Amino acid sequence: MNGTLPDNGVSRRGFFQLTLGWLAASFAAVATAVATVRFLEPNVVFEPGQRFKAGKPDDYPDGSITFLEAERVFLVRRGNSFRCVSAVCTHLGCTVNRAGRGYHCPCHGSAFNEEGSVESGPAPRGLAWFLVTLSKDNRLLIDKAQSVNSDKYLIV
Amino acid sequence: MPKRIWLWFAHTRVGRSVFRVGLPQSNLERSQAMVSSFLLHVQPAKVSRHALRASYTLGLGLISLYLFLILTVTGVLLMFYYVPSTEQAYGRMKDLQYVVSAGLVVRNMHRWAAHLMVLSVALHMCRVFYTGAYKRPREFNWVLGVGLFLTTLGLSFTGYLLPWDQLAFWAITVGTSIAGYAPLIGPKVQFLLLGGNVVGQEALTRFYALHVIVLPAIAGLMIAVHLWRVRKDGGLSRPDGTEDTVQSIALGQLPTNKSYGLMELARGTTPQVGKDPDDEVFSWPHLIFRELLLFLLVVAVVLFLAVFWNAPLEEVANAVHPPNPAKAPWYFLGLQELVSYSAFWGGVVVPSLLVTALLLLPYMDRRVQGVGRWFARERTIANVIFSVCLVVAVALTIIGTAFRGPNWSWVVPWRPPPAITEGR
Repeated sequence: MNGTLPDNGVSRRGFFQLTLGWLAASFAAVATAVATVRFLEPNVVFEPGQRFKAGKPDDYPDGSITFLEAERVFLVRRGNSFRCVSAVCTHLGCTVNRAGRGYHCPCHGSAFNEEGSVESGPAPRGLAWFLVTLSKDNRLLIDKAQSVNSDKYLIV
Repeated sequence: MPKRIWLWFAHTRVGRSVFRVGLPQSNLERSQAMVSSFLLHVQPAKVSRHALRASYTLGLGLISLYLFLILTVTGVLLMFYYVPSTEQAYGRMKDLQYVVSAGLVVRNMHRWAAHLMVLSVALHMCRVFYTGAYKRPREFNWVLGVGLFLTTLGLSFTGYLLPWDQLAFWAITVGTSIAGYAPLIGPKVQFLLLGGNVVGQEALTRFYALHVIVLPAIAGLMIAVHLWRVRKDGGLSRPDGTEDTVQSIALGQLPTNKSYGLMELARGTTPQVGKDPDDEVFSWPHLIFRELLLFLLVVAVVLFLAVFWNAPLEEVANAVHPPNPAKAPWYFLGLQELVSYSAFWGGVVVPSLLVTALLLLPYMDRRVQGVGRWFARERTIANVIFSVCLVVAVALTIIGTAFRGPNWSWVVPWRPPPAITEGR
């Protein structure tokens, strides 16, 4: 290039080269980081589905609270009404046990009452209640993806 | 007799080509033995007497390194039999216990060395703090040390899932759930760690990859830099009186009529420069002998533990029934005790603050007094603060280990816990 350099010693060409260079390098770094994280994030997970059938309503006697092992939920029947509460502690994901009328977590001692609300311990929220519906073939259908209030029943 | 054979071999043409220097006979050869050997040249030819004092270092850094080596060797051996699959992993552990020759001992060694390494790395950190060894110019090596401490914990944590027993499953369920409490990125980090929403095959695969290659590679690299920095920062820290008095040569001011080796361009002064010769001894045999002796001791202790105590293996992982109480390994029980009060404060805030404080420590504590001596009077305030944190950490760990029973309720270790009623 002709002419003298400006005081700061960076020519126009040098400035553009530097800018483009740094932009390209930053872009490459960010793109690589994003792509790597995206790669590590699975698009398909091989886990049991969130919706499942829990048998006929009459399988559960009146007044019972039944633990469904594979799904980690309690099915609560009172009279003709059915509810389903999660057995996964909201604190750190342990499975809660029945204790008296409520539930108790063995890992860090959170206690929940009959309605799943926290009575004591470190759990930040009450146990989740899930939507219970009746399928066409008269089976209880529980959807763990849909949380409902504890006062929502399925009446059969 | 073995010495004779060795001497004969070292002086043959082949022996010379391998070792360059035979068994050193003179001081010159003692220096050459250190400098001309790849494995030994990391260390100086001469070393200060103070650095050799077992009462100063307690050998903890070296012990940690040896445990890392034992863990690498036994870990690779375990890899020959282990399969990271939820269906096979637990059976493979049983095979190692009952079918594979010496499998039990190798697994026991791996487990006990891992426990010991967490302990020795933590104690090493305490030693460096109480002797003020993290001060200028060794600040960054302290930071690397904190990194190595966290990597060690990461290695234990990822290794914990691999046996796929109850302890493994629930420790990782709890541990990754703690990660989920981190603000903003928490749930994402948890999902990435597990490769899903629950601890399953994806999580096992990921933890396996982290445990056998990612974290060991990081640890190995950091150990290399950590050791290299010990030398470049002027050897082990020494008390003020024995510190070099020679001014370091600023870069760019080198006299041009002298030929300097690259090692003399280190920051500060190396132990070899401007030292009273009486204060130093030849690394061969003084340092080498102590190192080998310590290695023998560490191997002996690990082997002793492995032969007489078996590493626990609980029942196969059951995603439905957590054991009661579900406990993490002992070094995480302080954390678990904190978490039992609040997952966010105990699991995220307190540990993050502690790690940040440790990383910033050498840059906040800039006074240069009291380096190289245990519990120096000039450092009383710093020592008291550190000791309080340490006592709290140890107390929480002891409470979590011995005083927490079923449902994480209080128990006294010398009385059997009350029978628990598990209605279902």
